[in-house]
Amino acid sequence: MSELQRILYVEDEPDIQAVAELALETVGGYTVKTCASGEEAVRDAEAFAPDLILLDVMMPGMDGPTTLEALRGIPALAEVPVAFMTAKVQPSEIAHYKSLGARDVIAKPFDPMTLSDEVRRIWQGAA
Amino acid sequence: MTSAGAEQALKDRLAQLRARYLEHLPDELAALSSLQGRLAGKEQDREVLDELQQRLHKLAGSGGSFGCASLSTAARALEQRIGDWLQVRELALDAPTRRSLANELAALARTVPESPERSAVRWVPEAWSATESAMAIWLVEDDAELARQLKQQLESFNYEVRVFKGIDALRRAVEDQQPDLLLVDVMLEDGRENATERLVDCPQVQALDCPLIFISVNDDFPSRVRAVQLGAQGYFLKPLDVPRLVSRISQIFEERHAPAQRVLIVDDDADLAEHMRLVLTAAGMEARVLDAPREIMDTIAAFRPELVLMDLYMPEYAGTDLAGVIRQHEAYIHLPIVYLSAETDIERQIEAMGRGADDFLTKPISDLQLVAAARSRIARARQLEERISKDSLTGLLKHASIKEAASREVLRARRIGRPVTLAMLDIDHFKRVNDTYGHAVGDVVIMSIATLLRQRLRQSDIIGRYGGEEFVAVLPECEAEHARPVLEEVRRNFAALEFNHQGERFGSTISIGMVCSADYPDQDGPELLVAADEALYRAKRGGRDQIQQAFPAPAPDVTDC
Repeated sequence: MSELQRILYVEDEPDIQAVAELALETVGGYTVKTCASGEEAVRDAEAFAPDLILLDVMMPGMDGPTTLEALRGIPALAEVPVAFMTAKVQPSEIAHYKSLGARDVIAKPFDPMTLSDEVRRIWQGAA
Repeated sequence: MTSAGAEQALKDRLAQLRARYLEHLPDELAALSSLQGRLAGKEQDREVLDELQQRLHKLAGSGGSFGCASLSTAARALEQRIGDWLQVRELALDAPTRRSLANELAALARTVPESPERSAVRWVPEAWSATESAMAIWLVEDDAELARQLKQQLESFNYEVRVFKGIDALRRAVEDQQPDLLLVDVMLEDGRENATERLVDCPQVQALDCPLIFISVNDDFPSRVRAVQLGAQGYFLKPLDVPRLVSRISQIFEERHAPAQRVLIVDDDADLAEHMRLVLTAAGMEARVLDAPREIMDTIAAFRPELVLMDLYMPEYAGTDLAGVIRQHEAYIHLPIVYLSAETDIERQIEAMGRGADDFLTKPISDLQLVAAARSRIARARQLEERISKDSLTGLLKHASIKEAASREVLRARRIGRPVTLAMLDIDHFKRVNDTYGHAVGDVVIMSIATLLRQRLRQSDIIGRYGGEEFVAVLPECEAEHARPVLEEVRRNFAALEFNHQGERFGSTISIGMVCSADYPDQDGPELLVAADEALYRAKRGGRDQIQQAFPAPAPDVTDC
């Protein structure tokens, strides 16, 4: 697999979007496309051709797991690694999210200074 | 790899985002408390709790990214508690539980630090109670002079007072706001309006979820009975003994802030244990299930339960064995233990109780019975503990206990490398008060300073009555420069109080000596108390009604004369 470059990030809260974009673009040097909903992600993901997808779990409308299922239905994206982001990180929940097909779970709140390291670690584990 | 300039730009941008987040936060917190206000203690609360839980979940997930790690932690704890409540089949949150939720939601605002917290380890001094939002007392009193006096006195105790001339004005106000306590004169408009009679016809006022106290010139029986029927928690006769009234008010507020009752559940049936935990949690208690019998003493030491619910028959060890082990430890000789068992054989129950337990509950036990049994036992254990360690007049720690607390905190301060400040306070010319007005009035003066101290200091501070009119306050993790303004405020507020004896008004003052462990790195508790006492002596000699701080000899120049 090639270098991690393009990240699709799905999150409904503007405050969190802004700080994550800063963390991933400025600190991590990645190219980031942010979607404010699962619906938007399903619509735009294929055209963006991400290397990795970050999905917030709790969103109005399509939540994280539903969005993942829909993304998996798009052939071009079937193999793209996905990580969930959530404020609940009981071990049983991590196992549950992984069973849905996620590579890993990123705990919220994340530290903006280390988020890109965490994303890189997940990417390397997936690669 | 990033240049210094880029790093600065990043920091600036993060600070901007944090500022924006903090700007939105008050609205979000206000939304939370307005949701809480919709809770009615019924099954219909489920919908509101669902939304509260979701919003808390979001806060828990965001705070830490904006330098508010404590906000995240606190929001998560609340989110989980509400989650536990939602799992109980019949939802019925009682008023104390709803109030404690309201308090904790309000406390979220105070977890937000002025500068960002980066690491999990933090040291932001706990908020002084004086900076917390003041309790709102609504006073219904048509005698303008009495209303003015009461307002002024209550404000010296950091209450926020709003005065109403009559029941109608009160009724209009409760439509969109709520007091924390309602203080009502029974006779209004020169006896033409009897407030207790009027309140009976005021469902809006009766529906208020706040304590009620009546003040009255008449000691008549019908009014007293009416007051009881209206749920009043106090009935005070005029002329008012304000310090006693304030003492009662602060007691009512303190009961609300009492920490959650802690219950340890020991039962090998994991489902039943979890069910009991949820039921007790829903009733506002903190309950924990013991994982492994061998860990019982460690769990007790860490969790400090006030009650142990113990299954009698368990596969590995019997409940009586575990109770026996608990009782081997002197510190836990008084810890209440209640057996739970399907056992109905009265003789075997008696035998089991002979072995270290206090009571027996027969399974199946209803949820209500479980809550009631736990609550009343813990309440009684707390009362007993108070009697043993607290001074009966002031409710503060007794001499031996406060001295012990001072020693303990000085040792702890050295261990964790953060200073503790000790203060010794003494009422000026107290003998004169006692000789002139009698001991009963002297007691009132003593109670007032106790009330002021309890209100102005933090929950984590320890206060004791050291001698007749002498008090000691122990302020952990507090430097002298932080302690001084707070003590200064206590001194000022005490001097502003007005006491009343048979129509004669008089005031009183206190002198304070303080010492900070940072200035005496090698001294222990008793030595620091001696230093504080010397500073107190200097305050007395310097003209009283002032604070002096102890410094190791040679003392630096003191500019006052």
